[in-house]
Amino acid sequence: MRILALLGILSTAYLLVITKRMPALVRSFRYQSFFLFLATLLVAVDSGSLELYAVAALLFIFKVWVIPHYLFRIGREIKVKEDLGLFLNPQLSLLWSLGFTYLSWIFACKLIPGSSLGQQMVLATAFLTVITGLFLMMLRMSALAQVVGILVMENGLFLLAAAVSGGMPFFVEIAIFLDIFVSVIIMGFFLYRINKLFTHIDVNKLSSLRG
Amino acid sequence: MILLLILGAPLLLSISAFMVRSRVFGVLNSLGYFVVFCASVRLFRDSLVSGQVIDYPGLLRVDTLSAFFILVTAIVGFATALYSVGYIRKDIAAGVISEKKARLYGLFFNLFCLSMFFVPMLENLGFLWAAIEMTTLVSAFLVGFYNTKGSVEAAWKYIIICSVGIVLALLGTVLFSYAFSAAGGAKTLNWSDMAAAAGRMDRNIIKIAFIFVLVGYGTKAGLAPMHTWLPDAHSQAIAPASAMLSGVLLKTSLYAILRFGTIVINAVGFAYFGNLLMIFGLASLFISCAFILVQKDLKRMLAYSSIEHLGIITLGLSIGNAFALAGAFLHIFSHALAKSFMFFGAGQIVGSYHKHNMRSIRGVLTSVPFAGAMLLLGVFALTGLPPFSIFFSEIMIAIGAFSKGAYLAGSAMLLFLGVIFGAFIHNFSRMIFGLPPKEIQPQATPLSIKLSYLVLLIPICIAGIIVPWIKKDLLWIARSLF
Repeated sequence: MRILALLGILSTAYLLVITKRMPALVRSFRYQSFFLFLATLLVAVDSGSLELYAVAALLFIFKVWVIPHYLFRIGREIKVKEDLGLFLNPQLSLLWSLGFTYLSWIFACKLIPGSSLGQQMVLATAFLTVITGLFLMMLRMSALAQVVGILVMENGLFLLAAAVSGGMPFFVEIAIFLDIFVSVIIMGFFLYRINKLFTHIDVNKLSSLRG
Repeated sequence: MILLLILGAPLLLSISAFMVRSRVFGVLNSLGYFVVFCASVRLFRDSLVSGQVIDYPGLLRVDTLSAFFILVTAIVGFATALYSVGYIRKDIAAGVISEKKARLYGLFFNLFCLSMFFVPMLENLGFLWAAIEMTTLVSAFLVGFYNTKGSVEAAWKYIIICSVGIVLALLGTVLFSYAFSAAGGAKTLNWSDMAAAAGRMDRNIIKIAFIFVLVGYGTKAGLAPMHTWLPDAHSQAIAPASAMLSGVLLKTSLYAILRFGTIVINAVGFAYFGNLLMIFGLASLFISCAFILVQKDLKRMLAYSSIEHLGIITLGLSIGNAFALAGAFLHIFSHALAKSFMFFGAGQIVGSYHKHNMRSIRGVLTSVPFAGAMLLLGVFALTGLPPFSIFFSEIMIAIGAFSKGAYLAGSAMLLFLGVIFGAFIHNFSRMIFGLPPKEIQPQATPLSIKLSYLVLLIPICIAGIIVPWIKKDLLWIARSLF
């Protein structure tokens, strides 16, 4: 069961890099968060720890429900074209992504040699997710894709923390959740402003400040 | 108790920003930050003299290093609060911002200071991360304050690049916590526990983790080549916020690097830490020097100079002997004050000339006499002429480098400093002297702004004069800091 959740996270990472349109991107992010929630819930059921249940609930509320909902709303309200503006076409993106998968596997094996196969798989998936987030931020022109990129990176980090040290201490986890939530709200605020002033949210064209 | 005062004052002030009129609020704000400043002096003195550590396990822990950063933040905060009184009043009078916007400024200024006071106090590295992310989020509003195309673009780049950086820092933090728990530590992220257990941690993981931390927090600290957000944000922000960003925000990130640094030094030795920091320090010096030479925009030039000075501080820390460390800490203090000072002056110039381009600004000494005179002093203070303390901090770092045998790093630093000195004198002498354009009327400077200059100038002047006599004390202070 856990391996299914992990495979889900892995495949949504590929889904994220091949999507061309904004709603599909946010939806893929929602799927990824859902699989992350599922994985956390499974661990919580196994260990019976109340804190893990709480973390899973937070994951569901913030990352599966509220944040994607908010991003969908921004996408609707700013009424720009839904195209993400790819610097790299989906086929090549997928190819790169496969390459990154191999590299993260190597890195995971080198980082904690002698650990179980399961742990190394979780670790490799976590690194791949972080890299996918970075990839989205750099190679997509839409500002909304950058926000999703940061969120995906944080998903990866969450998985990493869960894999290597059984998650962050509970209150730290809550502080991080709040932080992410506030930052998404503020980024959304600036997205509205950019759209109002520039009538687009294409970061490639935000280049008046140079030198 | 004293911590409650330092944290409580900005919190209360941020609430009161909406209760009283902005004219009254300015005065209240300055008084509040004067109290915070006195409290921070007391805190620093106590922890230095008696070595006291205020500790609420798992939450707050204030030792001498924390107290030092709180002190620097408090001085610049106090000066900026004073400066804001005159600055905001002028903006309201000129119709640039509304009364409501002035209140928002009061709110964000205080929240920004609050988050920066929190950073050095927190014991848990996870909370530390959250607090540093908060400084970014709050100050983004101050960067985009004027709501122009340029400022919103700068705010967006700032928030995105720093968020990515900070996610990488969190990755590093997670790896540190893994190394700690693998070494038999409890499930905690307290830096004091981690530093104590550092000897037993896995060396390879610590090495990789520190690279992530350094790149992550280094982005926020403005180290090259991750500095690309910095010139945009610092040049577009509202002037008092530029002063805070350059003066203290960069240093709060440096504080985080130092905390991880103690763990790394305990775990893998000083050489690894020193080499990494030296690479980033020299890169920052080189890149900032190149950009200062070709710069036309006044505030961008000052922003690049911040990268330069962060490079000098990092270089000092990377050398790591007593002289260089003392120089680095003196430099953190002096640069915070001198750079805020320069941004105050730049804010007044931009306020009366309405342009950033240095080629078309002439005769500041005639049109804004007080700011012109202060900028003249400020240029000497910033580029490191005696009697200002930056001269001594730079000399101490150079002595440290040469006495350790790092001849290349030491001479590279002196070369870059010389070039930057030339560029600054060239640009500022053309701006300060000469005849101003006819349409600009001479302006008087309000008392609060005059005071804010003095609050910053007097300490660096005194520190510069007494350094030769308190050299031994300074070395001792540096040892008790790091």
